[in-house]
Amino acid sequence: MSKRKWQHPEIPANEASTKVWRSAGELEDTHGLRQWLEREFPRAAETMIDEDDRETSRRSFMKVMGASTALAGFGLAACRRPEELIVPYVNAPEWVIPGKPLYYASSIPTAGGAVPAVVTNYQGRPTKLEPNRIHPGNDGQSAFDQASILDLYNPARSRDFLNKGQKVSRATAEKQLAEWTASGKVGFVFGEDDSATRTHLRGELAQKFAGAKFYSYEALAGAGRKASNEAIFGAGAELVADYAQAKAILSLDSDFLELDKQGPVKGFYDRRHVNGRNYDKDAVQNKKNLNRLYVAEPTYSLTGGMADHRAPVAPSQIGRFLAQLASELGVSVAIPGGKFTGKKEKWVKECAKDLAKHRGEALVLLGSRYDKELHDLAHLVNVKLGAYGKSLNAVKTQKAGLANAEQLVADINAKALDTVILLTPANPVLENEALTEALSKVKIVQLGLRLNASANAADLHVPAAHYLESWGDSFTSSGVYTIVQPMILPLYGGVSELELLLALRDGKLHDSNTSALSPAYTAVRKTFDSTVHPVTGAKAAEAAWMKLLREGFLKGSQYALASVVAAPPVPALKAQAEPSAKALDIVYSTDGSVFDGRYIDNAWLQEAPDPISKVCWDNAIYLAPETAKDLGIYEELVELEKKGAAWWASLGFDDRDLKKSDVPEEGEGPSLFAPVAKITINGKTLEAPVIVAFGMAANVISISLGYGQGYDEHFASEFKNGGISYNQDGKGNVSSVGVNAGFNAYPLRGGVDYFAQGASIARAENGATYKMARTQEHHSMYGRALAREISTAEDKLTHKDYAAQIKGVQKQGMDSHIPENMSLYKGVTNGGPITSGLAGREEKPNLFDKSQQWAMSIDLNVCNGCNACLVACQAENNIPVVGKTQVAMGREMHWIRMDRYFAAPDLDQYPEGTDEWEKSPEMIPQPVACVQCESAPCETVCPVNATVHSEDGLNTMAYNRCIGTRYCANNCPYKARRFNFFDYNKRNPLIHKNLYKGPMGVKQEGDSKSLQRNPNVSVRMRGVMEKCTYCVQRLQSAKIEAKKLAKQEALAVAGGSTKATITAEKLMPKTDSVRVACQDACDAGAIVFGNLLDPKSMISRIKDENNKIINDRAYDLLNYIGTRPRTSYLARVKNPNTNMPGKEYVGKATVHMH
Amino acid sequence: MANIFPRWTNLLPIKIAICLGALAFGVVIAFSYYATPKTQRVGYMPDQPIPYDHELHVKQLGMDCRFCHSFAEESGHANIPTADRCWTCHQHVKTESEKLVPLRRAIDKSFEGYTGEPVKWVRIHKSPDYVFFDHSAHLSRGVSCVSCHGNVNEMRVVYQAKDHSMGFCLDCHRAPEKHLRPLEEVFNLDYTAKNYVETHPDFRAAVFGEDYDSAASEEEVQEVVGTFLKNHWDVQPKESCATCHR
Repeated sequence: MSKRKWQHPEIPANEASTKVWRSAGELEDTHGLRQWLEREFPRAAETMIDEDDRETSRRSFMKVMGASTALAGFGLAACRRPEELIVPYVNAPEWVIPGKPLYYASSIPTAGGAVPAVVTNYQGRPTKLEPNRIHPGNDGQSAFDQASILDLYNPARSRDFLNKGQKVSRATAEKQLAEWTASGKVGFVFGEDDSATRTHLRGELAQKFAGAKFYSYEALAGAGRKASNEAIFGAGAELVADYAQAKAILSLDSDFLELDKQGPVKGFYDRRHVNGRNYDKDAVQNKKNLNRLYVAEPTYSLTGGMADHRAPVAPSQIGRFLAQLASELGVSVAIPGGKFTGKKEKWVKECAKDLAKHRGEALVLLGSRYDKELHDLAHLVNVKLGAYGKSLNAVKTQKAGLANAEQLVADINAKALDTVILLTPANPVLENEALTEALSKVKIVQLGLRLNASANAADLHVPAAHYLESWGDSFTSSGVYTIVQPMILPLYGGVSELELLLALRDGKLHDSNTSALSPAYTAVRKTFDSTVHPVTGAKAAEAAWMKLLREGFLKGSQYALASVVAAPPVPALKAQAEPSAKALDIVYSTDGSVFDGRYIDNAWLQEAPDPISKVCWDNAIYLAPETAKDLGIYEELVELEKKGAAWWASLGFDDRDLKKSDVPEEGEGPSLFAPVAKITINGKTLEAPVIVAFGMAANVISISLGYGQGYDEHFASEFKNGGISYNQDGKGNVSSVGVNAGFNAYPLRGGVDYFAQGASIARAENGATYKMARTQEHHSMYGRALAREISTAEDKLTHKDYAAQIKGVQKQGMDSHIPENMSLYKGVTNGGPITSGLAGREEKPNLFDKSQQWAMSIDLNVCNGCNACLVACQAENNIPVVGKTQVAMGREMHWIRMDRYFAAPDLDQYPEGTDEWEKSPEMIPQPVACVQCESAPCETVCPVNATVHSEDGLNTMAYNRCIGTRYCANNCPYKARRFNFFDYNKRNPLIHKNLYKGPMGVKQEGDSKSLQRNPNVSVRMRGVMEKCTYCVQRLQSAKIEAKKLAKQEALAVAGGSTKATITAEKLMPKTDSVRVACQDACDAGAIVFGNLLDPKSMISRIKDENNKIINDRAYDLLNYIGTRPRTSYLARVKNPNTNMPGKEYVGKATVHMH
Repeated sequence: MANIFPRWTNLLPIKIAICLGALAFGVVIAFSYYATPKTQRVGYMPDQPIPYDHELHVKQLGMDCRFCHSFAEESGHANIPTADRCWTCHQHVKTESEKLVPLRRAIDKSFEGYTGEPVKWVRIHKSPDYVFFDHSAHLSRGVSCVSCHGNVNEMRVVYQAKDHSMGFCLDCHRAPEKHLRPLEEVFNLDYTAKNYVETHPDFRAAVFGEDYDSAASEEEVQEVVGTFLKNHWDVQPKESCATCHR
């Protein structure tokens, strides 16, 4: 037995070294960051924020103790068992079995097409959304979709009819509706979703109201692409990409995987799975089926993170890029501003060559919000590439005849409208100045879920019914007819869009408080009849309707294909100046948390860290580090971070002498306070905090839209060194969730543009800094080779080909030079199984489950880091929201931590003349939850056995037993455990300093949020540790189902159950029938979960029954510490084009990461 | 200066300590006896809105448990019957009885006191919120209602017969053979292993061979039968926390 050596060997001279980081602090290895990392729970013991808090807290402590001692006497007198009632139904509703969930197929209507969903209901309460896997248009669910269920239960939801913010009765509202629409000059503004019933009603309303006009409006819907598509393919046409057909894809600032979808992306991921979606293919043989993704974009998007080659290009230069690409492909277009030269020219050329090589299997996608001319050019490029009819299809939607917002303004100004009915989910008063001004000239009737700026400004606000409360229909992006079914009667008497339209048609508004059937049902049913029998319109068979309700879609339905109506001319593009430090480009981006602002009151989304910047509860200005340096902002950033270190150094301390309590306030998360800067453009200004964002184009500012909708008096306390001036006018436009969140960039944007030129930015004169809650450094793991990456191309220095690189995955990082794990126990082989070996199971038959041993794998190659799993986990497992202050202290409760790494070669490794496009760092996301170690370090330190191992291989938590010592979290090498520092479920964490008031604090608003809770999972209280347990509630119910089946079989045996034998195999749940919440939400199929003992399960192709890895690409996190985790990861594979500049840096993100 | 404390006070601290010690001991003993589920819960017999008589319905009329608790085999929760279910019989039987007023208030629209309000039964068997007991899992593996609820068929007023403490659960999870019975007999509240074995000669032969001793006690027979079924059906009750707590 030799001593294990832990020193890192020198990097061989012939290998390039890579630097991987998560934040600026980590990249520069600042003192502050190290201080932060070395503390297990940042600020664990001390719960006070400042002196002020301390004072009040001590006083209130005495108060509370005194009161409770006094009350203890009274309390004992009432020490009797409370009487609890059981209240059964009077008449049992159909299908409902108390204690069991019911599933209904429905869908979420969105601008990108309906998202098919299966809704879990417990006794009439919808609690969770899952994708509808039998739906042909199923494309998984995003974080937005998963979180939309929380909007249903939002206690701040609108529940009254309002006139300019004043409550009016339903009768008055009905009267006003009739009065204002009497003239017939009514404008209807819809969202960008598509509904057949609505299309029918449009026809009927046009008959009733002579001057009726119809529009569609959403702030970030992409006016340019729409205009181009309609001009080329006719009214209502849209482009839907078929990624299954595309092997070479170029995305020009199009986040087509997440925020700028162009059709279902399932096919993209199918081509990204190097072992096939079922992990049954050999990676090397399957190489020819992989796709290759090129991305040119100004700021990192999740799609950019998946790219094999990525170039940071300013938004004003995207047109130039596209024109150069087009001319390489033979479109004779003048390149505005001249060609890119040098390495950049080669980049475009090789990219064009590769696209041309894959003619018929290539695809160019342009961001939806670029203008019409560029989209026309993109069309011409796609024609050249033979994409149409293969990887790209134009379809005819039913949105034909809907005018845009510009037309609406024109019509109002031409006095063609008296009343505008806003049915769109957008918030025009917040988003669009011109539209707001025009709308002030007419009567506005607004339908909305929450009281936003538009609702408060409307002449009549109608409380909307959530989509889970209404009848409706919708189309997926490819036109599959999909039902929207209500799961619950409107909680607050809301009115659905269809009901409001029907009220205008019939003159009677449906009241959901009466027992009458919603007229929307009848209308949808009628639409369905005419969809099934388009010619005769005869009534569809009852069975067909039932099938629609059961499955959620109409089989065989889809949009008709559109063909070219008028081929566009080659556009003459205007040259646009390259951005400089004086005149920067500014990008107004879609936000990953609040979308266009509509989710500002959704606490799950607000708390989910932005996938790229990891900012929670805020937005910020992003700048490339070089740009920030040029402008003098970055030095200041680093200065801020180093302040603590410099001060300590000046006192003669070095790192080792520092005690935990010595860490200065600013050292708590080095980037806790971000400097505030001021953007000026076209005479408009905005002050907001700056964050350095890697992989951005130089001289580009990026800020997301939708934040900053309302502030109250506490906003000032988020700043240090002065602050910014703000007003509290918008306070009523947000709930306690959305208040004081972020900065509003809509006024800067003004119109509908995606970007603007000529912006300037400077550090705020008063030197203000702003507190930002960022999770990127939380629960950090000192950057060992956690996320791993390889490439399909041969490595230039080591001459390792793809196959050799796959073999080498398990030897990356520390694992390359650490001796094999060994066990102190006799009879157990070196690194061999302790808990799940066959031998062990025979020896101790009761300790091990012979039917199931659970395990998981996460494929980093298809994970783009979108947060859907994180939010799905939150919905499934009753995870509380903790608020910005707590997140800033590292107390977020998400069981899944979505890590995001940036990686690039060490700066000195770049040869002279390396282009900025080559230097674009790579981004690798990595979701980490509890990995369910077989030899779990947490279990051995728990003094009360609250965390123990189960027979089926889970590391479980008995919440009721936990006393909150937090030893387990201290001993967890993966930092996967979360502690309830406060009673987040009971006390409202969103009210300023409320948590610190103890029992005096305000309780959660209403009980509507508890309706969302999963009844099969405990709601944890203060002082309890929690973590991922592989959705143990789902596992248990699957096991119980298997037992029920076994019982039925046993009872059917001739001679009775005593003649039947029930074996362990029979008690095994059906292969891969148990799906955990994160796996369900992942449309990419990155998460595989299953039973190791089931030889047919998918996980058994990655790990064997002893939890040993058999897929070479898989590896365990921190393998060398011998915890034997049940969750393994599969390395990311880049598929670079070997002719591209910068190819030598692709796929090397982890090689020398320790 | 004279002594402030007289001589007899010298032993006072020791006396006080002994008294306090005895008191504390007494408190501990009293607490551990009176504050356990065994004392606190067993025998809990609250008044119900309708004095439903299980003895009458089950023993005399021969109704099966599942007629009213219809989803016990399906769901984790064994449901209390809906008013509708009671009414299927009682709209014909004893409709005018005083005792049925709460039921008629709930469902009988011709009744003058009709409100539509459901009958509010008082819960007797309550496990804490962090315990996820599943009825169907137990019934599927041959554990009878009797094992946890006692002979409800003989109760004129239902009360809690077993203590339902964690120790109670674990006793059975550690030694399930004391409770397992043929799946057909799960809802037979009068079942005894001895009776079953004696009336099923095939089964007796399979379990005991020729060694069956008709003088053996019920416990002994149950243990042999239970062990046979446990092995035969691979019954392995779990003892890890996540089985019930999650």
